[in-house]
Amino acid sequence: MKFVISKDLEHSKLLNTLMMGVSLSLLFYLVFDVILHGFIVGSDIPTISNTLYGNVDEFIEPILLDTLLLQVHIDLFMSLLTLMILSTMYIRLFSEEKKTKWLIHLLFILGLVTPLMLLVAYMSSLFFVYMWILMLLAGHLLAIFFAVRIVKKLFSL
Amino acid sequence: MKNTNFYIIPIVYMLLYTVAILVTGIWLFLLSQGLGDESIGVTLYHIIEAPVLKSIYGLMEVATPHLVSMGILIFLVAHFLLFSTNVSKAFSKKISIILFITAFANILAYFMISFGLFSSGWLKLLLMGSFVLLFVFVLLLVAFSLFSNHSKETSPSKFP
Repeated sequence: MKFVISKDLEHSKLLNTLMMGVSLSLLFYLVFDVILHGFIVGSDIPTISNTLYGNVDEFIEPILLDTLLLQVHIDLFMSLLTLMILSTMYIRLFSEEKKTKWLIHLLFILGLVTPLMLLVAYMSSLFFVYMWILMLLAGHLLAIFFAVRIVKKLFSL
Repeated sequence: MKNTNFYIIPIVYMLLYTVAILVTGIWLFLLSQGLGDESIGVTLYHIIEAPVLKSIYGLMEVATPHLVSMGILIFLVAHFLLFSTNVSKAFSKKISIILFITAFANILAYFMISFGLFSSGWLKLLLMGSFVLLFVFVLLLVAFSLFSNHSKETSPSKFP
């Protein structure tokens, strides 16, 4: 973060190029992450329900708590790294806009609550599965919006 | 770069995320020791008396990603002490080194049980507890620096 904040590097072309590279990389990561979650947990409600709660008729066992918790643990770490990098660059480029503050709050809240929502869904009901899907998509779309805006802005500099 | 106050927001959330990562990590460890079938007290007692035996493959599978991720996470959190004017650089350096050492020791502690150097899991619990408490202390230091020191960035250090 110190490199991004430093005034000495405010007009550095190398830093701009590096920021563009990492934004593009995160952009692809975010898209792939949604697809990966589709493979791991399921891409529609019946499949997700089978994964989390099992299915007696089809002899499907529910996912083990430690397997799900490991996924949540990894998701939290990956979200932290991704959002720290994206938000730091976004603040550097768009700190003059009023909505920046609220968008960053929203992004971090979604990133934190989404993995925990999966745990809640596992322990409670299907309603939270819908919440999880909604939050996962909203969080990833918002992060993609951040990455796209950063890349666009850096191109225009 | 007009509004540097916004940089506080990601740092505050980073502290919350780190706590969540620590809690899920401890929960995962306890689950692997039988928490699902028994209470926390009984699980801790079992870890001390007879920890679950793990293969070297199983330990490597856990240790390898943790060596990278814990190193990155400690760096990420502790580097914010560079911005602090309340905590001295010398103290930040010492606490960061101790945190890295306890993290490595915590990751590698279970190998000693698997290699037969220890039959009890008290060392693993002690190292894990020390690492978590120390990490929480560093998180509190960052939070303290963030909130107490925001208006007087140029004042001299007060912490040891």
